[in-house]
This record gives sequence, C-alpha cells and structure tokens, in this order.
Amino acid sequence: MQTTLNPIEAMYDNRPRRWWIYTLIVLLLTIVLGWSSTAIEFKGIASKGAEVAYGIVYGIFHPDTNLLWTLSPDGVPYLLLQTVGIAVLGTLIGGLLAVPFSFLAAENVVPKWLAFIVRAFTLLIRTIPSLVWALVWIRVTGPGPFCGVVTQSICSIGMISKMYINAIEDLDTKILESLDAAGCNTFQKIRYGILPQLYANFISTIIYRFDINIKDATTLGIVGAGGIGAALIQCINSRRWSMVGAFLFGLIILMLIIDFFSTRVRKRLARG
Amino acid sequence: MTRKKYKQAKPLLFDRLFPPRTMMVGGHTVQKPRSRAWLISIVLLIVVAASVMITEFDIGILIKRGHQLWVILAKIFNPKWEYFSKVVNPLLDTIKMSVMGSVIGSLLALPFSIIASANIVKNGILVAIMRVLLNIVRTLPTLVIASISALMFGLGTFAGTVAISIFTFGIVSKMMYESIETVDMGAFEAMEALGSTKFRAFWSAVFPQILPTYLSHCLYSFEINIRAASILGYVGAGGLGILINDRVGFRDYEGLGMVLLTLFVVVLIIDNTSQYLRRKLS
Amino acid sequence: MIEFIRTGKTYPNGVRGLDDVNLKIDQGEFVAIIGLSGAGKSTLIRTINRMIDVTDGQVIVDGVDVMTLRGKSLRRFRRRIGMVFQSFNLVTRSTVIKNVLTSMVPDMNFFAALFGIFTKKQELSALSALDKVGILDKAYTRCDQLSGGQQQRVALARTLNQNPTIILADEPVAALDPVTANQVMNDFKRINQEMNISILINIHHVDLALEFADRIIGIRDGHIVYDGPVKQVTEQVLDSIYSGAPIPKVTDSVVEDESKTTKPMNASATKEVLP
Repeated sequence: MQTTLNPIEAMYDNRPRRWWIYTLIVLLLTIVLGWSSTAIEFKGIASKGAEVAYGIVYGIFHPDTNLLWTLSPDGVPYLLLQTVGIAVLGTLIGGLLAVPFSFLAAENVVPKWLAFIVRAFTLLIRTIPSLVWALVWIRVTGPGPFCGVVTQSICSIGMISKMYINAIEDLDTKILESLDAAGCNTFQKIRYGILPQLYANFISTIIYRFDINIKDATTLGIVGAGGIGAALIQCINSRRWSMVGAFLFGLIILMLIIDFFSTRVRKRLARG
Repeated sequence: MTRKKYKQAKPLLFDRLFPPRTMMVGGHTVQKPRSRAWLISIVLLIVVAASVMITEFDIGILIKRGHQLWVILAKIFNPKWEYFSKVVNPLLDTIKMSVMGSVIGSLLALPFSIIASANIVKNGILVAIMRVLLNIVRTLPTLVIASISALMFGLGTFAGTVAISIFTFGIVSKMMYESIETVDMGAFEAMEALGSTKFRAFWSAVFPQILPTYLSHCLYSFEINIRAASILGYVGAGGLGILINDRVGFRDYEGLGMVLLTLFVVVLIIDNTSQYLRRKLS
Repeated sequence: MIEFIRTGKTYPNGVRGLDDVNLKIDQGEFVAIIGLSGAGKSTLIRTINRMIDVTDGQVIVDGVDVMTLRGKSLRRFRRRIGMVFQSFNLVTRSTVIKNVLTSMVPDMNFFAALFGIFTKKQELSALSALDKVGILDKAYTRCDQLSGGQQQRVALARTLNQNPTIILADEPVAALDPVTANQVMNDFKRINQEMNISILINIHHVDLALEFADRIIGIRDGHIVYDGPVKQVTEQVLDSIYSGAPIPKVTDSVVEDESKTTKPMNASATKEVLP
C-alpha cells in the first residue's frame, strides 16, 4: 500500500466538486419552468386559426395596392408618415425634457438624496407601460395622433434620462481643470468642457430611442393614439387580409429603412 | 526603410457636393471640410414642421384640459387595496408568460444567430439572408403579433406566450450574432488542428466564451418581457393587460392604480435581481 | 517521418507561398525553421496537418499522402499531430484541466462531449500531461489567471495529452519574455528527448533556434535555402536566409502574431526591415 499518494492522484482527489451547484441550478430552473408552463394550455389551433395564418401570408403577398399607393389619410403612406411624425416629436420633446431631469438625477451634480428622489420618479414613469399612459392621456387630449406625441414624450423621458444619467456620471471632470486654468467662466466651462463629451452620447441615445418609438407608436395606435396601429388592428380583427398585408408590408419596409439608417448613424457617432 | 502609404478616406457624398475649402496655413495646404451643421438644422426643421402638421399638434388642448391629468393621476396614486386579490392571478399569468416566452425565444435564437454570424458560417449569402429575416421578425410590434396569435390560438395566455417568444427571438438573435462575431477564434482553430469536427470545436471552444453574454442577454430580454407581457392582455392575450383594459373601461382609476402598483413592485424586484445576476456573469 | 516532395503552394491571389520544397524529417528530430516574416514558415508547417492545402507536389506523413485525406480520415490523422500556437489558443475562461481535456473531445461520444463529462481515467491522463510540463499545481485554476509562459505550457500539455508522434509549433515563444521563452524551449527539448516526438518549430529568434534545435531549415521567399545541422550554420548561411537584414534575437520586442492575419504577404514584403 502506498503511504504517499503520487502527486497526480493527490491532485485528482482534491479537485473542486462543483457538480452539486449545477444540479441545484438545473433543479431550480426545472421547477420555475414547470410552474410557468401551466400558462401554456394549448387549446389547439382554433379552427379558424389556420385560416388566420393562411390569411396573413396571403395578405402579405397580395397587399391591397390601392392602400399602398394612395395619399389619402386612410392610406398606408399617410399613416406611416403620421407614425413617423409621432415618433419624431415624441423623441425630440422627450429628449429635451429629459435633459434637466437627468442632470437632477446625477450623483456627481446634485446631492444624493435629490438624485435618489428624481431617479425614483423616472423609474415610476418608466414602469407605467406606454399603453397605460396613452389610455390616461386620451382622457386629456382626446384620441388621435397628438395623444401619441404626448404619451411618447413622457415615456421617452423615462428611458432617455436613464441613459443620459450614465453619460453624465461618466464625465471626465479633469478637462474642467484645464479650462479653469485657461481662465474660463462657468458658462464657457460647460459649453466647451462638458457639452462636447455629452453631445455624441445624447444624439446616439435619441436615435436609439427613436427606433424604439417607431414601434411603440404603432402599438399606441391600437388604443386610438393615431398612426398605423389603429387601422392595422381593425383590419386584423375584421379579417381584411389584403389590407392587413398592405399595412404590414409598409410597416416592415419603414422599420427596415429606419433601422438601417439609425445603425449606420450611431456607428459613425461612436467611431467619430 | 519603406514608407507607409496611408489610405485616403473615401470621400463622402456631402464632401463631393460641397467640396472642402482649401486654405494655406504657414506654407502647408489644409483642407477644411465644410460644416454640416447648417444642413442638419434645415433638415431637422423641415422634419419637425412636417411632424407637427401631420400629428395635429395642439398645445391648446394640453392647457385647457391639462388639469384632467392630475385628477386621473391622483386617483391612480390612491390605489384600491382590496382589489389585490383580483390582481394576483393575472399577475402570475403575466410572469409565467414572460418566463416561458423568454426561455423559448432565447433557445430558438441561438442556432439562428450562429447561422447569421459571419465568422462561423462562411457562406456570405446565407448569412445575409438570415440577417434580413431576423431583422424582419424584430420589426413586428409585440402587440400586433399578440393580436394575430390571439386570433389563431384563441384568447388566453398561450397566445401571449407565443408573442413573447417571437419578440424575444428577435432581440436575442441580433444581440447574439453581434457578440459571436467578436469572439476569439484561436481556440476553435486549435481544436480543428487536433482533429475535432467543426461542431464540437464550436461547442468546446467558442460556446464557453459566449455563454455569459448569452445568459446576460436572456436576462435582459426577460426584464423587457415582463413589461411587454403586462400589456398583451389588452388584445386578449392574457395577463395583467386584461385587467388594465377592464379598469380603464370602467374609469376605475383606483383599481388601475392597484394593478400598476403590483406591476411596479414586481418589475422592481425582477430588474434588480436580473441586474445583480448580469453583473455576476461578466 | 515527414516527407516533402516537390511541394508548392500557390495562393488564390497568385502569390507563391512555397516553391519546390524537398525535405525529409525522421521521427524524433528537433527541427527549427527560420526565416523572415512572410517567407513561408507558417505555410510550411501548416501543410503537414493540412490546415493549408498544397497545390503542387506531395506531403507524405508516416506514409500517408496528406492530400488524400478527407473528413473523418483527416480528423483521425490530425489526432496524432499536435499543434502549438503563438497566442496559445486556449479557452481562457475555462480551467486549465478543462482545456487539456478538450484534446480528448474528438474521441468521445456525442453526449459525453456535449455535457463535458470526462472519466476518471481521462482526468488522470490530463493531470499527468500537466505534470510533464511542470504545471500540475495550477490544474484547477482559470487560464486567464496564468502568465503567458504558464498558458503556453497548458497548451503544450493539451498537445501532449493527444500522445502525438509529431508536434508542430508556430512561433510558440514569440509572445513570451526571454526567460520564459527559454523555459518553454527547454520543455520542448525535454519532450523531444524523453518521448522521441518529432518537433518542428517555427521560430523567429535565431539564437534560440541555434541553442535548442538539432537541425535548421532556412526559408526565404518560399524556397528552402538551408537544410542542415545546427553546427554548420555560419554567418554566411544566416545572411542568405535573411538577405542582409538584421538577425532577430530573443531579446527583441515581442513579435506580432501573423497567423491571425489570413492574407499571405507577397514576395516584395520580405525586403522589409523587421522591427
């Protein structure tokens, strides 16, 4: 019998045994998944379900070309532009309003307690789904695209200020020292020291949010806040597949275009 | 010593239309590109003006009926506590839909994102096609997918789960193929050199590198999905959305407040847990 | 035994990577291949395990013409040839032993490979490979916590775990400092002598090549310009290989990993001065 194990066997015997952690995690996941799967009661594809699927595919490949090419307020181009308009204004206004909010919520600008309150406030704004905001604002502005603009402005503040805050807290304050040494006053220090650092980041954030808002504007349309969403859902519910196809077609093209340009612009902003 | 040749940057369209000004400074020629600011400002102005018109922008309404907002908000922030018992089940439904949808969507996203990665799949056309398909899936708004699912599979949480799966599939696959392309292929090469098939080389050498990122993306999409799932009920796809639709219809803003409060608490918990886990993963 | 018979490699862009190479390397030799960057060292080594295909002539390893292999036979062939890279090519987030065990993956069944389940015998074999390079105590640490020299030893252990008959090394010490480079070269020497494994090293630093190898092969512009024992290498020989450029030493600054760029350098590049 060996009184001393050779070092290789000794190493093997002392190996860390992690298998029980993995088993635990797997067990946990199985439980969570098992519980969640009760949400899936597959009642079978409703008899009309296959019809629906077929209808949509049909609709996309045979879109209602009248709708696609008309300039009337019910047509695809007008509604798409309206959707874009809602997103543009919503993003811009939200982006502007978010600026004071985010400065007030940055811990390197205001005292911690104030920052905390403002952040909690923006968190509140962010958690209320945009749909709910729209439903609330409809009572104020009435249905229509303007409601969408206002809703998006408020909702954009939520996400945009979160990203602004990150940019503000990453500010390099050393440049302020050198501007100080050159004899600048506060305004000049902000204009030449702080703003250039934030500028590219802010613009990138706004473009990112614009992307999201286009999709969101479509969703808001469903509750009556203008844009292509309302028409789309109505046609889906009344099974007018060609019209659905037209709307979907226009929507997809629009989003692909905007996605393409926004990614390119954001890349150029990042690389400079 | 050979001199390095610096490639000239390709001239942009703008610079071709408005050529840079040539200036002489201290004996050297300097090319100053013309400022783009004026062009951007004009475009922006036009876009904003057009948007204002097309969205029937009307500040007047805000001023006139703005007080209504506070009335409603006051009611929302005065939640009806007894209503909680009615909120529990839809809330659990919402969470279940998010979990299942996130898991299914993430699992499906992985193989497709691998096909869309230019460093694993060498066939450029296949990669391009896959990316376009993935992009199209991403552009569809969740609510639209949900209402179509509700029509196909009947009202209820199944439709919602399908919608969330598709949505998750869209965002995770894009994040994944962008990550996969930044992976270090060295270990992959080593495995091929010692006689491994491409699949096993990928699994043993590349996958461990992207696993933390993958899990992080899945958690992130789960965060988003909770919010998305809460409104799917509006089109009949189950969860809290049904309650929201319900309460707003009855102008029961205190009830709505209760629903929102529970949503807020749940989102807070999930966000924080998810961020904690994501930090541990990186 | 490795044989090159009138071997040549022409890249798709027309560049001639190797031209009329004729070599015979017996089992157990320690050969160092030297030459300027882009001269064809990497190409030569990678034709042996067919990471690069040859366009003319033949490469015959242990009686097998490399170009006749495909798919499964190629993979089985590669099992017996180990390769060590300049940038180590480890899975840095994994532990040392996991990396060494990856060399067994091609022989495992599907599920064992999928879930990374290794038998005790496999683990012990991996541990003894680590012991042979003197890094047993780090077996369960993560690779990114090791120094460059230690990581290269892990890579070497991974190769040894295959029980190869030939080890190919592509600039294995280029990314290491002089002291560590010496240690790793010593490891190679020891493996060569104790286990009779043929070792072909691409090496940038001529002084290391002369110190450790038994035989030197000098390449210039894809041609073999010198092939003989170390003792017969003179200043003249080195001049003909390096075309009058300064001869690189191990104390020079770290060399860039050229295998990471897939473009082959063209012939005129060899006239450039090395950093």
